[in-house]
Amino acid sequence: MLEVANLSKEYPTPQGGLSILEDVSLSLTRGESVAIMGPSGSGKSTLLYILGALEPPSAGSVRLDGQDPFQLKERELAAFRNQEIGFIFQDHCLLPQCSVIENVLTPTLVAKADGHEAETRARSLLEQVGLAGRIEHRPAELSGGEKQRVALARALVMRPLLLLCDEPTGNLDHKSADVVASLLLELHRQQETILIVVTHSAELAARFPVRYELLERRLKSKDE
Amino acid sequence: MQTAVLLRRNLAYYWRTNLVVVCGVAVAVAVLAGALLVGDSVRASLRDLLLGRLGSTEQVITSAGFFREQLADEIQRDERFNASGFGVACPLIVLDGTLTHEASKRWASGVQVYGVDERFWQFHARENAGSATPRNREMLLGASLADDLGVATGDTLLLRIEKPSAIPVESLHGRKEDVGRTIRFNARERLDSSALGEFSLRLQQTSVRVVFVPLRLLQKELEQESRVNTILLSAQASGARQEMDTAPSTVALRSILKERVRLEDMGLKLRVLQEQRSLSLETESTLVNDSLAETASATAAKMGIRTLPLFSYLANNIRSGPPDIPYSLVAAIDEQTFENLRRVHASEGAPASSSSSSSPSSSQQLPPIILNDWAARELGIQTGAVVTLEYYLWQDGGRLLTQTADFQLAGIVPIEGIAADRDLVPEYPGITGAESLSDWDPPFPVDLSRIKDRDEEYWDKYRTTPKAFIPLAKGQELWPSRFGKLTSLRILPAAGAPLETALASYGETLRAALDPSQVGLVLYPVRAEGLKASRGATNFGEYFLYFSFFLVISAFMLAALFFKLGVEQRLREIGILQAIGFPASRIRTLFLIEGILLATMGSLLGLAGALLYGRLMMLGLTTWWVGAVGTTLLRLHVAPSSLALGGVGGVLAALVCIFWTLRRLAKASPRSMLTGTALSELNARRSDTTRQRRSYTFLIAIVLSVAALGLLLCSALGWISQVAGFFGGGSLLLVALLCHQAVWLRSRKRRMLGGSGLWSVVRLGFRNVAHRSVRSVLCIALIASAAFIIVAVDSFKRDDRNSTLDRKSGGGGFALLAESALPLVHDPNTTEGREALNLVGEQTTNSLDGLSFARFRVRPGDDASCLNLYQPRNPRILAPTDDFLSSNRFGFQDSLSSTKEEQENPWLLLDKDTTDGAIPVIADANSLSYVLHLKLGDELTLEREGGKPLRLRIVGALSDTIFQSELLMSEKNFLRHFPEQEGYRFFLLDAPRDSTATAKLLEAQLSDFGFDVTSTAERLASFHRVENTFISTFQMLGALGLALGTLGMAAVLLRNVLERRRELALLRAVGYNAKHFALMTVAENAMLLCCGLLTGTACALLAIAPVFFSRGKGLPNFSLGLLLLLVLISGLLASLVATLAALRSPLIPALRSE
Repeated sequence: MLEVANLSKEYPTPQGGLSILEDVSLSLTRGESVAIMGPSGSGKSTLLYILGALEPPSAGSVRLDGQDPFQLKERELAAFRNQEIGFIFQDHCLLPQCSVIENVLTPTLVAKADGHEAETRARSLLEQVGLAGRIEHRPAELSGGEKQRVALARALVMRPLLLLCDEPTGNLDHKSADVVASLLLELHRQQETILIVVTHSAELAARFPVRYELLERRLKSKDE
Repeated sequence: MQTAVLLRRNLAYYWRTNLVVVCGVAVAVAVLAGALLVGDSVRASLRDLLLGRLGSTEQVITSAGFFREQLADEIQRDERFNASGFGVACPLIVLDGTLTHEASKRWASGVQVYGVDERFWQFHARENAGSATPRNREMLLGASLADDLGVATGDTLLLRIEKPSAIPVESLHGRKEDVGRTIRFNARERLDSSALGEFSLRLQQTSVRVVFVPLRLLQKELEQESRVNTILLSAQASGARQEMDTAPSTVALRSILKERVRLEDMGLKLRVLQEQRSLSLETESTLVNDSLAETASATAAKMGIRTLPLFSYLANNIRSGPPDIPYSLVAAIDEQTFENLRRVHASEGAPASSSSSSSPSSSQQLPPIILNDWAARELGIQTGAVVTLEYYLWQDGGRLLTQTADFQLAGIVPIEGIAADRDLVPEYPGITGAESLSDWDPPFPVDLSRIKDRDEEYWDKYRTTPKAFIPLAKGQELWPSRFGKLTSLRILPAAGAPLETALASYGETLRAALDPSQVGLVLYPVRAEGLKASRGATNFGEYFLYFSFFLVISAFMLAALFFKLGVEQRLREIGILQAIGFPASRIRTLFLIEGILLATMGSLLGLAGALLYGRLMMLGLTTWWVGAVGTTLLRLHVAPSSLALGGVGGVLAALVCIFWTLRRLAKASPRSMLTGTALSELNARRSDTTRQRRSYTFLIAIVLSVAALGLLLCSALGWISQVAGFFGGGSLLLVALLCHQAVWLRSRKRRMLGGSGLWSVVRLGFRNVAHRSVRSVLCIALIASAAFIIVAVDSFKRDDRNSTLDRKSGGGGFALLAESALPLVHDPNTTEGREALNLVGEQTTNSLDGLSFARFRVRPGDDASCLNLYQPRNPRILAPTDDFLSSNRFGFQDSLSSTKEEQENPWLLLDKDTTDGAIPVIADANSLSYVLHLKLGDELTLEREGGKPLRLRIVGALSDTIFQSELLMSEKNFLRHFPEQEGYRFFLLDAPRDSTATAKLLEAQLSDFGFDVTSTAERLASFHRVENTFISTFQMLGALGLALGTLGMAAVLLRNVLERRRELALLRAVGYNAKHFALMTVAENAMLLCCGLLTGTACALLAIAPVFFSRGKGLPNFSLGLLLLLVLISGLLASLVATLAALRSPLIPALRSE
């Protein structure tokens, strides 16, 4: 379960603290998914990185399955991210020197995982995202949609509890975006992750049961 | 905003990257200019050393013999002396000697002995010249000599010097045993270099051993009262001393010398013979050389005066049958005089005798001889009888032989006229002055028991009057001498001409006709010649540039990489500038100006670094690498021109790097730069051709591998030389392996990454190496090349562990080497020779049993080895005996052999006659290459005062031998061209027993000759030390360059990290921690380093395998391994910098795509 309570974020500037988020609270359980929308600079990505334990909040708390990641030491935090969180970014961030399957396996290299099992799972995920025939290909040989599907498989290879997506279809054409969105929701359903997607796309957001909007530093339900 | 402001902002904002660029340029400039400074410093130090040691000496007049001390005053008083720029002339005696500290028995050879008085100190403008001068038996010692011997004030010192003898030692009348003299002195003072304690007229950078003793005492001991052998000449003003071209002064001085010198200064005697109404021209050496005889005859001919050449000799015995006459002088006179003598007295009475031992018929072919009536009476013979002369003949090889010659008595003459002329014989010490025959003390054995009363009576009455006369040509044939073919020249003025007038006029005309240098009185512009030589045999600046090659390349690479990095960081900025209307040329100019500013700043900083680098190198040369230069007296001299050259060179090289960087970026589109995908775009373009390139590279790799294996095979089969085969094979293999690695890095077929744990992370790091394969291959190539050269160069290190006892080794199979201060004329290989040299006694004989000497004549000269930093202008020459040549020892690197015999024994080339008059010489290959800068077939012209320049042709190059300090010439040619060099002073010894004990024994027994024995291994090692030190220097600076190169590699890594920061940020997002990053980057760097080091080292080891195996060496030494290990460690440490940079790069911005 993800519990976010009274989260605030300020960035220091010469003119004083610049507030990005104020008093954001959120609670999600396994299998739930939400879309967060908002104008540029509203703090959507910042919220996502705080939830992904990549950036600490200025105030408030984040707990995932009862554990506050910001209380962990650096090495434990890295392991926490590895085990509990999956990321998908607008730019797929694939390693160009590695093949498709190697990219999917990247998180497993630093995990205490069974290598054989990890590979089996990676192959399975790639099959699920429709790339079974492309596992030996390099990222440079894939289309944008395919790259994002690889990124999706990589995000799920460690069976994370929390799947965070930052504009996952932002760089894709309509058709590819639709495919990626469908796969994302399908795999989320299968894996029973907590899925949070930050997007500008109303079309994508519309496919989520719960939608939030970040307005004036606060998180507000779109459905209210 | 003006461009200048934009530039300032850019420089300040990107200060970290810019700082590294500045540092890179600074290091390169520091090393470049520093290396040039080292060259300047060595040259300037040699110059300073020379000038310091010469004191005020500008030129010097020297002589093989002694001349009037007064000559110096006469030269100085000449009005042209000062007018031509000279200041003072100072007479002194200069000798070589051996000094023994009586109390400790420690001794030193090669001591430069100066007999001086007040004038010497005044000459050098020393205060208190009077008190500075040694008096009585005082000796002043140079500091280094005093320290070597541990001399304290008041200590007793024994100085052994060569006793001057006008009569050649290697002639019958030369004294061979008593060639030296020992003089006792008391040490008064120790002089440091500022007090002329290193005064020397010779060119050597090593410390000099100097003693000063009272001139008067030395003259007395040498029996040369008021005579000296050297005059120092100073310049009038100090400014004149700086002038290199002293030709005008030399010309003037030569003219003064020619006019002021007297016949006696040239060792000539011209005297009136009243009874004979003639003049006699003789020399102190008792022999008139051909050149002098020719000049003297020609002078007389010009004056219309007749001359009579004379050659007298001592016959041990004149016999005709049993009766004999001991120890008689025989005169050889010209044919006409001989015929006149026979004709005039043919009818005059000769006692009849029946005791003729041979019939006239059997002796028809015999040369004629005329006896005086006393001798004929003694022998009881008459005209037609056979007369036998028995005489000693001193052979150049060092043996006294008794020879005989038969003559037919052609006449008997009364003792009158020319037959009564006792002046036909020159003054022979020990003979002519003796009161009786029994008082003779000649330098050869005489049996006084053979002398009868009648012989004494003859001596009493007629003294040196010859008892026999033979034709001149026959005498010259029987008694050959390289010192001359006449003993005197009789000058016969016209009848009635006053003899005193004739003496004066002929004397003056002859003096004017003679060139002083013709008789050994030589004028030498010591300062000018020294300054030329101080430019050095070795250009240290050039050497250090080579040595620092990798350091410079690495520094420039570092600067270029960081500049590129800086530009790549600012691609968006470039895109923005283009988008808002900056033309591409303007942007390029902007970056170029930035580059120029950075390069200039780096260059200025580098100049300061150059001073530091130069100082460090000079410190190294005088401490750690002192073996290469043999002196601690080198100092840093800063030449602005070298600094400017290094600075400008550095800026230009940096600009080339910068221009290259900007040129590549010009290909990127503004859009790609704005979106930050420019690098990907550029790389994508490159990757389009990757597959094709991989195929080509693979093909090249295969071809090179096959070629390398082919060379190795050819070498193994003996078709080509091992060194060429293996070195060529190793080099080709290096390139082939690099190509293979390039193919491998571009290959797609790899084992899939998988599993978990640290090894998996390491493998991911390895995979990163392939990401920028060109960059990685360049890194590997740089490291591999550097490692290859550093390791391969190690094979050039000389190994002293090899035996010098192999006849073809550098020691020629000789265990010991000896040099004597005084010449040995006796052959120590013979029983007689050993007796003459006092190598007698049961113990000595036993100890020396089986010992054999190879003897060499020596013409002193400049050391032609790497031990001498000065350019040798007049190399030392050794001449071995024919036995040595035929023994065919020592190995040759190459020769001009044309026949099978010569190929088998290239020493035979020394005896080969050349059609063009060049004299064949052999030298060591190392000296030829690095010091003399000559190759086979080249000629070296030896300028000789008073003689024609001598053309020496290199016909053979010895392979790393003990003969690195000299040239070798045949004894025949040596004696022909350097007849004045007497005896043997260099020896190689075959010592079958304990060579150390033999050396000690010989040094003790031959101490009177200043016999200094050392092992050939030690001599060879002294040369090797220099070479090995140079190689170590190269290796060390190369390794330093390699270490700096690893920093460049860290820059490559940093570029990789920055280029991939989004990927790395993603990895952090998915759980990679600091340890994983460190492991990944270190693995990446380690792979590059190891590939480079292993490739370079393995290929180098293969290349040098024959050298190691032939020398019985193991693998390259431990320090080399340590060096490479340090490079590896420093490279790995440098990679951690890249890791830190990766960790410090902000995560969120990298992940955000907008």
